[in-house]
Amino acid sequence: MKTRSSFSRWLASGVLAASAALSFAAQAAEPLKIGYSDWPGWVAWQVAIDKGWFKEAGVDVKFEWFDYSASMDAFAAGKLDGVTMTNGDTLVTGSGGAKSVMILITDYSNGNDIVVAKQGIKSIADLKGKKIVVEQGLVDHLLLVNALKKAGLKESDVTLVNAKTNEIPQAFAAKDISAAALWQPVARDALKAVPGSKAIYTSADEPGLIYDVLAVKPASAKARRADWLKLMKVWDRVVAYIADPKTQPDAVKIMAAKSGVSPAEYLPLLNGTKLLSLEAAKKVYIKGSGFDSLYGSTKIVDAFNVANKVYKAPENIDSYLDASFTNAK
Amino acid sequence: MNSFSQWWGARNPRVRGTLLTAGSFLIPILIWCLVSYVPFIWHPKVLVETPGAVDYFTTGMLVDREEFADQSAQVAALGQERPTGTSANPIYLPAPHRVAKALYAGFTTPPQSSNGLWLHQSLWHSIQIIFWGFLISSLIGVPLGLLTGTYGTLARLNEPFIEFFRYLPAPAFGALAVAVLGIYDGPKIAIIVIGTFFQQVLVIANTTRKLDPTIIEAARTLGTRGLRLITKVVVPGILPDLYRDQRILLGWAWTYLIVAELIGTSSGITWYITQQARYQHFDNVYAAIILIGIIGFGTDLILARMGRSLFPWDRSREQKS
Repeated sequence: MKTRSSFSRWLASGVLAASAALSFAAQAAEPLKIGYSDWPGWVAWQVAIDKGWFKEAGVDVKFEWFDYSASMDAFAAGKLDGVTMTNGDTLVTGSGGAKSVMILITDYSNGNDIVVAKQGIKSIADLKGKKIVVEQGLVDHLLLVNALKKAGLKESDVTLVNAKTNEIPQAFAAKDISAAALWQPVARDALKAVPGSKAIYTSADEPGLIYDVLAVKPASAKARRADWLKLMKVWDRVVAYIADPKTQPDAVKIMAAKSGVSPAEYLPLLNGTKLLSLEAAKKVYIKGSGFDSLYGSTKIVDAFNVANKVYKAPENIDSYLDASFTNAK
Repeated sequence: MNSFSQWWGARNPRVRGTLLTAGSFLIPILIWCLVSYVPFIWHPKVLVETPGAVDYFTTGMLVDREEFADQSAQVAALGQERPTGTSANPIYLPAPHRVAKALYAGFTTPPQSSNGLWLHQSLWHSIQIIFWGFLISSLIGVPLGLLTGTYGTLARLNEPFIEFFRYLPAPAFGALAVAVLGIYDGPKIAIIVIGTFFQQVLVIANTTRKLDPTIIEAARTLGTRGLRLITKVVVPGILPDLYRDQRILLGWAWTYLIVAELIGTSSGITWYITQQARYQHFDNVYAAIILIGIIGFGTDLILARMGRSLFPWDRSREQKS
């Protein structure tokens, strides 16, 4: 689903930072151009697109559908006004020069990021001395490290085996591997690939470890503030439409169609994502140090990125965070 | 037996050629069918039909054969209900009929999304990317290749760099292409061009060099120079080979399609393939792959046929029978 890879993008965004600076001119009358990709919290926009709600709200937007990494490349190249990313990737993209402001929290992962383990392993504590497959440097590495810490283990108590997330199901099936950390829908395949395996820890155990946001160019956030606020009102409508049991089937149908799967297949993925209305987002967009605050989560991801050499120096987190959009009337 | 040898050794080379062509496709398909439908050939998995007393089995689950036997024996030893299942291949190898069905369904299913595309529209988009990429590459690559092959000085000036550049992976220029050319078709076409162009110059330069040097010498002795040498002597001399090179290079361009289309906005057949693979709908993936094969091979067949009527004097590639 999300290819939250980092290094190549970090490199690319560095090269492209210059061109980002050039493209601010002559944008005033243009539609807001937003890149989105295949993650339930972002596919949700499709509901508003299909139903024509942006026009009703009087805001001119153009959503462009991307592969996740490609969407960040395009944003780094200055070709988009906004893009949907995780808060961690917002920092990674920004570390290469393409700074942005997270104006809207769309959702947090609530079970879609998973540590799966083979039969016989019941909890994270059982993983001591075992081999675990994970794509290092990405969010589920962070999920795993955090889970180990909570269970009283250190990263050095286990052996991490690095693999691309899409290939983890096959790697997980290998004899000497005990567990894997990955996200949906690939996690589903890992569970299928190794009968008897179970999810022993998910992002639902640590809500807010990974926030998904709409990040926009600082210049656009400033110049087109009114438009962005209108767009956020539409988001509220989308969240309500998906939450309402009466309209949910219709919403799931739209979202599943965009992802190219059946609604029945899509529903569990949606359920692993906690969509946030503006009201709910206000409670999260607060200063704090834990995962229950976007500030706290972003700070932790920043430290993780530095520790894993995704980038060298900590980013200035406050420059990425602006709660005034979420808190606007 | 007698009829078989007659059939196989058919006198008419054209009939024989057609039969062999059909055979070259039938053999792989036959192997695919055997592996898919004959239960004891590969089938390393068991598809669980009823889970019996095994606590973690569910209907529709794919389990390793040994594991299935193991679990089955365990519950049997306890006097409990055994699971049942049929042998199956891994999900990565769908059976031919499922792929055929997916191929048919792909074309007959209307787009689910309001701004979605039919499969043939996606495919057409991909074909256009290839067309423009190959055209742009050829507009520069063919003349440059001809000049490089004709003039040694030019060859020494540009061939080392082109040799170097052709090893650089075209997809690595994706982000740069997006920065320069935007997020739509521009960067995709650019990747096709980068992937094709450098090979094209070298291949065509080599073909040009194969032209009998005495012909060029004779032309020069008779006072042919510059552009006229290229257009009146070199090009007519190598035209059938040039045409054949272009056919091969067009196939080359196709191989860059998938990486090219991953850049910028999601589009074309690649979007379909990657998305379906992500959700493990491998029947759809194989259907799309086969589709690309059919289009590529079909185009080449047509071009080959056209080549035969365009260059009736060219006998160098006549099939030996």
